[in-house]
Amino acid sequence: MTHFKWTLAACLMASTAAAQDLNTMTAEDLLPMAQTEGSVIVYSFTSRIARVEEAFEAAYPGIDMQGFDMSSTEQIARLKAEAQAGTVNADVVYISDAAVVIPELLNAGIIETYVPPRVAGLLDAGETSPLLAQRLSTKVLMYAEDAYPDGAPVDSLWDLTREEWKGRVVMVDPLQRGDYLDLMTEIVLQSDAMAAAYEAEFGMPIDLGGAANAGQKFITDLFANDLILVGSTDDVNAAVGKTGQTNPPIGFTTYSDRRDNEDEGWALQVANDVAPAPGIIFPAVVALATGAKNPAAARLTIDFLMGDDSDTGGDGFKPFYVAGDYATRSDIVPHPDAIPLADFNAWSIDPAKTAAARAAVGDLVLTLQ
Amino acid sequence: MATLAPAPEPHIAQEGRRVLFRPGLVLKLVVLAILVVLIVGPMMGTVLSTLTPTAITAWSDVLVGRLAPNLFWWPLVNTMVIGVVCGVVCVLLGGFLAWAVVMTNIPFRMTIGVMATLPFMIPSFATALAWGGLFKNDRIGGDVGWLQGMGIDIPDWLAWGMVPTLVVLILHYFSLAFTIIAASLATVNSDLVEAAQIAGAKGRKILMGIILPVTTPALIAAGSLCFAGAVSNFAAPALLGLPVRMQTLSTRLFGMIEVGQTARGFVIGILLVLISALFLWLGNRAVSGRRSYATITGKGGRAKRFDLGTARWPLFAVAALILLCATVVPVIILLASSLAPSSAALFSNWTLHYWIGESTANIAQGTPGIWHNPDILWSTTVTLGLGLCVAFTGMFIGLLASYTTARYRSGWLSASIVQISFLPLLIPGIAFGAAYIAFFGAPIGPLPALYGTFAILVIAGTGYLLPFSVQTGRAVIQQVSGELEESARLTGASFARRMWAITVPLAIRGLAAGGILIFVKIIRDLSLVVLLFTPTMPVMSVLAYRYASEGFTQFAHAITVLILVLSIIATLISNRLQTKSQPWLKA
Repeated sequence: MTHFKWTLAACLMASTAAAQDLNTMTAEDLLPMAQTEGSVIVYSFTSRIARVEEAFEAAYPGIDMQGFDMSSTEQIARLKAEAQAGTVNADVVYISDAAVVIPELLNAGIIETYVPPRVAGLLDAGETSPLLAQRLSTKVLMYAEDAYPDGAPVDSLWDLTREEWKGRVVMVDPLQRGDYLDLMTEIVLQSDAMAAAYEAEFGMPIDLGGAANAGQKFITDLFANDLILVGSTDDVNAAVGKTGQTNPPIGFTTYSDRRDNEDEGWALQVANDVAPAPGIIFPAVVALATGAKNPAAARLTIDFLMGDDSDTGGDGFKPFYVAGDYATRSDIVPHPDAIPLADFNAWSIDPAKTAAARAAVGDLVLTLQ
Repeated sequence: MATLAPAPEPHIAQEGRRVLFRPGLVLKLVVLAILVVLIVGPMMGTVLSTLTPTAITAWSDVLVGRLAPNLFWWPLVNTMVIGVVCGVVCVLLGGFLAWAVVMTNIPFRMTIGVMATLPFMIPSFATALAWGGLFKNDRIGGDVGWLQGMGIDIPDWLAWGMVPTLVVLILHYFSLAFTIIAASLATVNSDLVEAAQIAGAKGRKILMGIILPVTTPALIAAGSLCFAGAVSNFAAPALLGLPVRMQTLSTRLFGMIEVGQTARGFVIGILLVLISALFLWLGNRAVSGRRSYATITGKGGRAKRFDLGTARWPLFAVAALILLCATVVPVIILLASSLAPSSAALFSNWTLHYWIGESTANIAQGTPGIWHNPDILWSTTVTLGLGLCVAFTGMFIGLLASYTTARYRSGWLSASIVQISFLPLLIPGIAFGAAYIAFFGAPIGPLPALYGTFAILVIAGTGYLLPFSVQTGRAVIQQVSGELEESARLTGASFARRMWAITVPLAIRGLAAGGILIFVKIIRDLSLVVLLFTPTMPVMSVLAYRYASEGFTQFAHAITVLILVLSIIATLISNRLQTKSQPWLKA
């Protein structure tokens, strides 16, 4: 028994030491080990992983990447189940919903942070810890620019509670998609800004009525104004963005979905100047699965996803170099068609604060439905 | 004590032996053990998880307090309306069609019979999408449905919420009711009908006096299955109810799990199970309380069909209208939308790109047509294998369970088997899948963890679809006269031999119908497998779901069409192999 314990301890120490070695190795050093491993399995919350796969296999022949596209919520459920089963299927986890990922996956030891040494100095501290942020994504108020050629038809979020927007604001049910609940939560956390925006819009201080704060009051009024809930972001895009509509609705969706405007027949544009903010901006994070079967290939994948040293991040970052996605690497130049990050008015969420407030906001939304 | 003990001993010993060998006890225990492993174990895990100190407040959140009305009570009302209306209307529609096909001389009987089994093979989410393609109005904005596009103003109540949800679910489940009732009607002994005819009874009298009472178990079974299917259906209320904020217990459950409030989700799921169980218990009592009608006996032939007379064509028109709405229209819309680049113009600019096209950067982010998708062949193989395995194991266990409960229907063991085998119906697939991962995911003793294997898909599928195999088997087996088996038993035939030589051949129609249902259900099921499948074990429905959620509806519909074709082929093969499986189609 004692012998067994010592062997186990020795094994653990050895693997920890080995992991530390891997963490400091360059991509060139990782490559032969990764090629010996031969494959890498990636859980990804975006379908764009298919294009990463193509580029990765072209760059590193001999390593078969199996990209697997599933929503953040589903990944969390799956990874927790796998951990319970004592099996590790994924090598790399590419996911949003950091407010849930940090307590339920990172703190539970199901995933671990890995920052490729070559990019560590190019990111802000908050973007490498607790998890490595590969890029920033958004949930913001958007409108159809062909129907509203003079810019956004509203200048304040509070406009959405006015009679003229009754039944004409669309978003995904916050009780079905975590990132929309994060958006509602941020509005509550930003109650001071919401109160100020109310006074600017209506010329009088906000009367909270029964609400606890300005954010809650806004959410209550928004739902009371016949807010339309749908099931997916694409439903919002189609409703809000479709070209040729007269008097179309507006809604909260992903800024970078603007990239599909031409293919899908949309005219989506962000209402960046709406007061106090058009919505939220949040990290897409990438991490190692604890106990990954292909540790070297997993690290090589994360290294690849962070892009190369060219201005646009090269082939690894290409699928994400689109207007509306913001690279975390300071040396990747902003996309020319997008509002520069510095001028983008969306609130940047703090995953820890969001995680703490989210359940209460979810309960509020529940009472309003 | 000691002095008294010897006297009653022989008596007790005798009693003891009789208790031990009471007919069916061993069989009941075996079946019960299987059900415990397949169903009770995973569900107990779920219940226990809501009783931990951190999770237990979920019960009060759901049942009382400021959240309760929106979290539970209103969704409950919607759910029960959907379940009851769907159950009743499905039995009426399915029963009408089954009666027309099996017992009358309605024109195009064969065609009606085949068409009536099709809607159940179309996934309900596809029918819901098809409804949107026709009836979607301008409430949300964006694309409108075809009718609104033609300039017809569609009111909200017709486009969204309860009415379309009911219509879609009824169009989906009536086909299930048809299959069960038709199988039962086909086994109605002609002796009974002929005796009545000789006695001078007219059509209506025979229908009310003989056919209805004899098929009551099948009617109740059909109504129960439709009720249970409708209350746990997720796709239709989610797609059609959300824009007018109509919630059911299953959409609530999904939403709660989706945002990480699993305890509340599980509580809602448990309550859904309990309430539905109450409804079904009442139905089951109605069956058990009455005498068994053994209608397949040692002899008897085919009865003459009812002559509908002048009502032939009007009744045909009614049947045709039902089938047109349930089968033809959804299939046309599915097919059209797998070919049309824009859902706005469903019937223009058709292209085969989504079927056979090579990868092109500007269409659907470079996704190639499904024939060029390397995953599709493998996922088709996995899906077919899964369907066959689950159909076989399901039929086997279903036969055991239905035989046991039909032959030895008294006692609490038998009642437990019936109740437990019904449970999975009420459990939304996603919750069932999660429970399975928790239960079979970790290594049990020397057995390895099943997570990520083909086996767990088969086991979960078998457990999940057991209600279908048990209930359809039961309705048929109750009609196989016990006297045939009794006579074999007197000649000394063993249990296995009696099953193989007598019960199975006579019950094969119902079992084959059950097997087809199971196969078709599992190959298009999404909610159960979505958590259980792994990258190395892809199934087609999950691929279709991926495409739909990425907005590539054409690919999703193309795969759905493929699933539909596979289902139809399965039905045809089954008919060919077992020509008796749809005896009502014979002249």
